[in-house]
Amino acid sequence: MQYTATVSRMKAAGAPPRLSSFAQWADRHFKWLLVAPAVLLILALSIYPLLFSLVVSFINYDFQVPGHGFVGLKNFERVVFDPVARWSLLLTAWLSGVSVAIEFVLGLLVALTMVRSFPGRGVIMSILIVPLFISPVIVGQAWTLLLQRPFGPTNYILTQLLGQEVTIGWMTEAPWLYVSLIIADVWQWTPFMFVILLAGLTAIPPNLYEAAELDGVNAWQAFWAITLPHLAPMMLLALTFRLLDAIRMFDTIFIMTGGGPGTRTYTASYYLYTVGFTQFHLSQATAGSWLFLIFTALVVTLLVRRLLKAEPV
Amino acid sequence: MNDHEKRDFQAGLEAEVDAFMRGETTRRTFITRFGQMTGMLAASGPILGMMTDWALAQQKLELADAGSPLGQAQVAAMKASMEGPADGSAFRAVEAAKAHSGVTLNMTYEAGLQALDPRNFSGPMWEQLTGMKSNVVELSNPDQYSKAVAEHIAGSGAYDVLDISPAWTPSLADGGVIAPLDDYIAKYMNPTDLEDYHPLYKALPTYKGKIWGFFDDGDMFALYYRKDIFEDPKMVEAYQAKFNAKLGPPKTWEEYAQIAQFITDQMAPNVYGAGHFRKAGSPGNQFDFLQQYRANGGKLFGDDMKAGLVSDAGVKTLQNMIAANAASIPGNNELDAVSLWAAFLTGKVAMIYSWPPSGRMAANYSQSATAINFIPQSQIAGKVGYAVVPGNPEHATGYNKALSADSANPEAAYLFMQWACSPPVSLARCMLPYALRDPYRISHFKSELYGALFPSAKEYLSNLNNSANVGLLDPIMPGAQDYFLSIDRMCTAVWAGADPKASLETAAAEWNETTDRLGVDSQKAFYTEFLKLPGATADNTVEKLGMAVTL
Repeated sequence: MQYTATVSRMKAAGAPPRLSSFAQWADRHFKWLLVAPAVLLILALSIYPLLFSLVVSFINYDFQVPGHGFVGLKNFERVVFDPVARWSLLLTAWLSGVSVAIEFVLGLLVALTMVRSFPGRGVIMSILIVPLFISPVIVGQAWTLLLQRPFGPTNYILTQLLGQEVTIGWMTEAPWLYVSLIIADVWQWTPFMFVILLAGLTAIPPNLYEAAELDGVNAWQAFWAITLPHLAPMMLLALTFRLLDAIRMFDTIFIMTGGGPGTRTYTASYYLYTVGFTQFHLSQATAGSWLFLIFTALVVTLLVRRLLKAEPV
Repeated sequence: MNDHEKRDFQAGLEAEVDAFMRGETTRRTFITRFGQMTGMLAASGPILGMMTDWALAQQKLELADAGSPLGQAQVAAMKASMEGPADGSAFRAVEAAKAHSGVTLNMTYEAGLQALDPRNFSGPMWEQLTGMKSNVVELSNPDQYSKAVAEHIAGSGAYDVLDISPAWTPSLADGGVIAPLDDYIAKYMNPTDLEDYHPLYKALPTYKGKIWGFFDDGDMFALYYRKDIFEDPKMVEAYQAKFNAKLGPPKTWEEYAQIAQFITDQMAPNVYGAGHFRKAGSPGNQFDFLQQYRANGGKLFGDDMKAGLVSDAGVKTLQNMIAANAASIPGNNELDAVSLWAAFLTGKVAMIYSWPPSGRMAANYSQSATAINFIPQSQIAGKVGYAVVPGNPEHATGYNKALSADSANPEAAYLFMQWACSPPVSLARCMLPYALRDPYRISHFKSELYGALFPSAKEYLSNLNNSANVGLLDPIMPGAQDYFLSIDRMCTAVWAGADPKASLETAAAEWNETTDRLGVDSQKAFYTEFLKLPGATADNTVEKLGMAVTL
């Protein structure tokens, strides 16, 4: 009663009401309270698992070895000295590099072809981007059906075309198994390059080409002097996105080769999956994931730094 | 419905139930009328919801025509569960389980066809008999291990009944993931039912003197061959002329490769001598290598627990396998188990060795279920002979039903396990066309009903029994996944051209690393336990121990 009277007197005097200490604190930190639920959610869903995985990589967390004792760098050591891990890292770099390079070149060629309007362009574009919407597992299965002997038609078609018997083991013989994996990846992801590069091409002002034409510049010169510089940021963006995705290559390998023969098609992701979920050495797989993350971060940092610097001429 | 109509309806329903129990083909009418009755009860009061749910639950139960062998087996399972004999494990399990009515059991099953049994048959039937519901959790094979362990670590109590590979028993038992069944068995089970297991399988769930589950899937490899080709007079004559020997199912691995090459030379490209599932991870390589390696006298580990792979037996095994590959269908090294079945069923391959569903598919029995229609119709039905794999066939994994140590309803879960694995119920489950559960009890092998499933079913059962008599078990010890993976990598590397000796050395190094990681002494103790089991080595088969089962 007395408090109410005091507040009334203060209001009458034009002074703001005196708040409790909690209310004052809440008032001061109101903006933080508003974002707190989102921050807690992020902490719970991403930061906590990340930190937990860091802890796991320094302890024994193995479904075959009881106990969770501290093991120091043992898990990292196992990965570093595992020849399969080293091979899988090399293969990841090689496979993703080659696949993305081919996808880039093909994507650019298709984008340059499709940038001008022609009858049926819309239909062709729709068909071209269909592979993007297919799950990589399905893509792997589809290419397996095409390539796998004795049921796949590929060798038969090649035999008919070449006029001599073709008996390629597309998923068991080097180098054909790498060719198969690259073909599947290129088939699915070239449209991604195409879409991004086409967007970049359509954004180049047409008056630049008109001016160049008046100056007597040929098509090749126009490409080097106008298209390439203007498209460079989009190219880098497309390459960065695709490379980040390509180094996680797993699904098609799981379906098409099962990592074999031997460990020849073990990528980093496939290696980590095998260690973690076939052999159940979870702490080793987690340590390997951190090492892989460090390698990836280095590549990403370089690419993103270059991307941020890239500006159209 | 007035009183008079109700009386008539009840009388009709009782007649239907009796007819069904007699094995007459009135199942659909029974279910329909029962559904109608509960539907009519809709207007009669608060009992409506419960009864309608119950009636709908019954409709999930898929039963075969009661006149068919499968239908008769299902009727027999139901009778044994409801009427007894009173000392039968199925009847005792059902009677005791009624006290747990309303409980829901969470059961892990391998995703896909394996899970159709509890979804369509055993789960709904158990619910009908006891009022217990079942929640089938479908998992991939590796997850059946890892998820069980993860949930145990989390203490979630997520599962009650676990389907596990026998190879995992020591790890899961020592890790406290599964519980021993001895007390429950003493309390509820008819002990003669344990004697009904084939001796190869009987001891599989036993570890450190306790029983950690019920064996529930006889995954015995056997040889399936084209009788029409092997008995073709022209082929017999040509083989006799070339090798001065009678053409027949091979007895040794050298003979196997020789016959395969002979048939390929004579009949390709229409038919090839053999086919194998050799694709990386398929997982035929590990099973095939293990059976041939041990049949060739190879030892898995030495006394110091060092891998014994780098040996004459190892090299000989890989060379035999390479010779067999060369004699096989093109793309042999790219085949998985399903592709191999497709090649055999379409008549492209003269002999394969694989799991027991091969025989049921070859006879076109499995394909009667729509769930398994991804397998082509057999073009070789009636032309397939059965033989024991040369040397000693592998019992390629199998399944145990195990009781989760974290189950909130362990007794209820145990009772389901006892019921599902009891002789009459397990027979009906093994006979389901879509199920991948394979015969494992002596009563299964002797079953007249199973023997009537398809024309050569008796021969098929006899061959599975004979194979089990000389069969070899997968190593049952921690790290089995690692050891298997190394073999698979080794084999596929060799198929791609790697040197066999060098590949054996790589695999042996990986085995030694696995053993070191898990502890040499500890692994040695597990291996010693494993060696005590019948079928652990070629010198220790059921037959050599004098326990062979004769049908």
